[in-house]
Amino acid sequence: MSLFVIAYYTLLLGASCLAAYFNKRSAFLLLFSLTLVSFVLGIIGGVSALRIVAILAGLLALSAMVSYAFREFLIAIASRNLAKELRTAPLTAAFGMFVIFTVAVAGIFAPLIAPHGEAEVITSAFAPADANMLLGADQLGRDIFSRLVYGARNTVALALAGTVMAFLLGALAGLMAATSGGWFDQFLARTSDVIMSIPSLIFALLMLSIFGGDLANDTTSFWLLSAFTGITGLLLVSAIAERSLMAWVIGLAVLVGVAAMFGGFMLTIFNPSEIILILVVAVIYSPRVFRLTRAVAGNVVVMDYIEAAKLRGERKWYLIRREILPNSTAPLIAEFGLEFCFVFLLIAGLSFLGLGIQPPTADWGSMVRENATLISFGDITPLIPAAAIALLTVAVNFVVDWMLYRSSGLKV
Amino acid sequence: MGDILGLVVKRLGLGLIILLVISVIIFFMVELLPGDIAQAVLGQGATPENLAALRKEMGLDQPALVRYLHWLAGAVTLDFGNSIVTGASVAETIGERFANTLFLAAYAAAIAVPISIVLGVLVALLRNSIFDRVANVATLTSISSPEFFLGYILILYLAVKTGMFPAIASLSNDMSFGDLLYRTFLPALTLVLVVTAHMMRMTRAAIINLLASPYIEMARLKGAPPWKVIVKHALPNAWAPIINVVALNLAYLITGVVLVEVVFVYPGIGQALVDAVSKRDFPVVQACCLIFAATFILLNLAADVGSILTNPRLRHPK
Repeated sequence: MSLFVIAYYTLLLGASCLAAYFNKRSAFLLLFSLTLVSFVLGIIGGVSALRIVAILAGLLALSAMVSYAFREFLIAIASRNLAKELRTAPLTAAFGMFVIFTVAVAGIFAPLIAPHGEAEVITSAFAPADANMLLGADQLGRDIFSRLVYGARNTVALALAGTVMAFLLGALAGLMAATSGGWFDQFLARTSDVIMSIPSLIFALLMLSIFGGDLANDTTSFWLLSAFTGITGLLLVSAIAERSLMAWVIGLAVLVGVAAMFGGFMLTIFNPSEIILILVVAVIYSPRVFRLTRAVAGNVVVMDYIEAAKLRGERKWYLIRREILPNSTAPLIAEFGLEFCFVFLLIAGLSFLGLGIQPPTADWGSMVRENATLISFGDITPLIPAAAIALLTVAVNFVVDWMLYRSSGLKV
Repeated sequence: MGDILGLVVKRLGLGLIILLVISVIIFFMVELLPGDIAQAVLGQGATPENLAALRKEMGLDQPALVRYLHWLAGAVTLDFGNSIVTGASVAETIGERFANTLFLAAYAAAIAVPISIVLGVLVALLRNSIFDRVANVATLTSISSPEFFLGYILILYLAVKTGMFPAIASLSNDMSFGDLLYRTFLPALTLVLVVTAHMMRMTRAAIINLLASPYIEMARLKGAPPWKVIVKHALPNAWAPIINVVALNLAYLITGVVLVEVVFVYPGIGQALVDAVSKRDFPVVQACCLIFAATFILLNLAADVGSILTNPRLRHPK
């Protein structure tokens, strides 16, 4: 019996007695079941197992404190209405917001935060951590901490771009399908059925095998991207212009310009293979967004106030913008968060397989792969970027969970 | 029973049509390549003679539709042509690997299904308690973690630090069944962790949905003991959602297996697919994609058919 074990059990039992005394039923149940589990764990795993439990509990308490403080901070700086909403946020959601905030800061100010460059070789391969490098060096002698910070920028930006494109196409198509109905609706629904019946990772691999090699050049990616933007824009134009020929002409002219400019703009940010990746992701996930939007909008379309607006002679675009969208924002925002998680995990998985973001760009998924050999020496370095992926996804999920809970539907 | 048979046949027909459409997508996507496969294989510096020879060998001089029908007829009889890179028969290369993958998925499912259903029902009964909330956070975390994260954690703690299980799942033909289970334990466990979380959440949602229905309340009000409410009233109606959950997650297993196989260097079809994609070995990619898609659709069909068959309203038509 070491001092640690004695202190461990004293603390746990004391805390559970206190909880019981003050009638905190759920806290007591949690603490006391932890004590019982610890008995078993202590017998099987010895002191080290208890130590791990203690460290985990400490981490949990720390993150709970951070999230509590962060929530209070947000409430303090938010406007009154927003503060009222924020007060209902559980600690998990506050924790999620804190992580998202941290990653956003790291990504936006990456060059200022990272002590070394993204692809800068500063020392020998797999050099251990020292005062200069917080987390040591990777397989080429680049600083892992700096690459993590840059990874926050590259991986998240890519996933965000993919999600936004998938979301725009899916949501627009879903809204149009719900308001138009008929063969257009049927056609889109059957197409999305087919795409969704191919497992997403497999479909991504299939598309990457085709667009991966020579096709990942400036011209191809520009045309593909412009085509994708064009299809999205076409839905928008058709919603706004409806039967007016003049509006169609103007809309199409504007659309061609916007698509070309957008293609050129994206090419200055991402390299061609990354644009292909964004498009692959957008194609795979837009059917899912489409399904949800169509279902949500479909519920709104049958309402009386839509009927009234139609009788008033309102146009389709007005219906979408002023009647349907405001009544389906909450599930759509939650869906955006969920889609982001899927996209992020897919991109991380592809990069881990060596088929996503290409070196030397720093990226969390490929960092795991590059340093994976260290695992067999009992080094946790490769786990850090993987943990970052998990942490961000969990964070987004926590926030989404809270939003879904608030926005009805899933109040189980 | 005629009604049910009709529904099932209709579902099967729909699945077959979707599979056909997917085979069209998989085949004609490769046609999108500039030039053709021969060009892609030989690269920019190929001489016209070489190209023509390869085209002739691969049958590329025929129109695409003829080649598609030929490919489809081959695929139905499990003949996927030859690999571009090694020249070996695709069916032979992936056949054994597919069996390995199925074994891994079945292994994981055999552990995950009972655990997650029992836990899911328990959590549903204890809903809104502290355990429910802990389980919610735990399953959410597990779902959000990429498979390779869980895999490497297991390797680090169960293989490298304690040496309880082998980190690399290498297989050989003369292994006993017990040895096989032992060697593939870590990849199976990784899959179990991911799938259990999914299944638990879905089972919980399904059961809670069920417990909110009026006839359950009625059973409670008339004074039936809680276990009887669950076993006699809730369970018969819970089979449909539970079968759905299981089949959907088995489908998920089949694709989740790709990353896990790469982490544990497991000789399965997922790794074959990843290798083929990076080498741009199109026949192998096509074959693997078709197999994965077919399995996925088959399991989704099983979910549909299962929920039709267990639906008491359909089983006893008025």
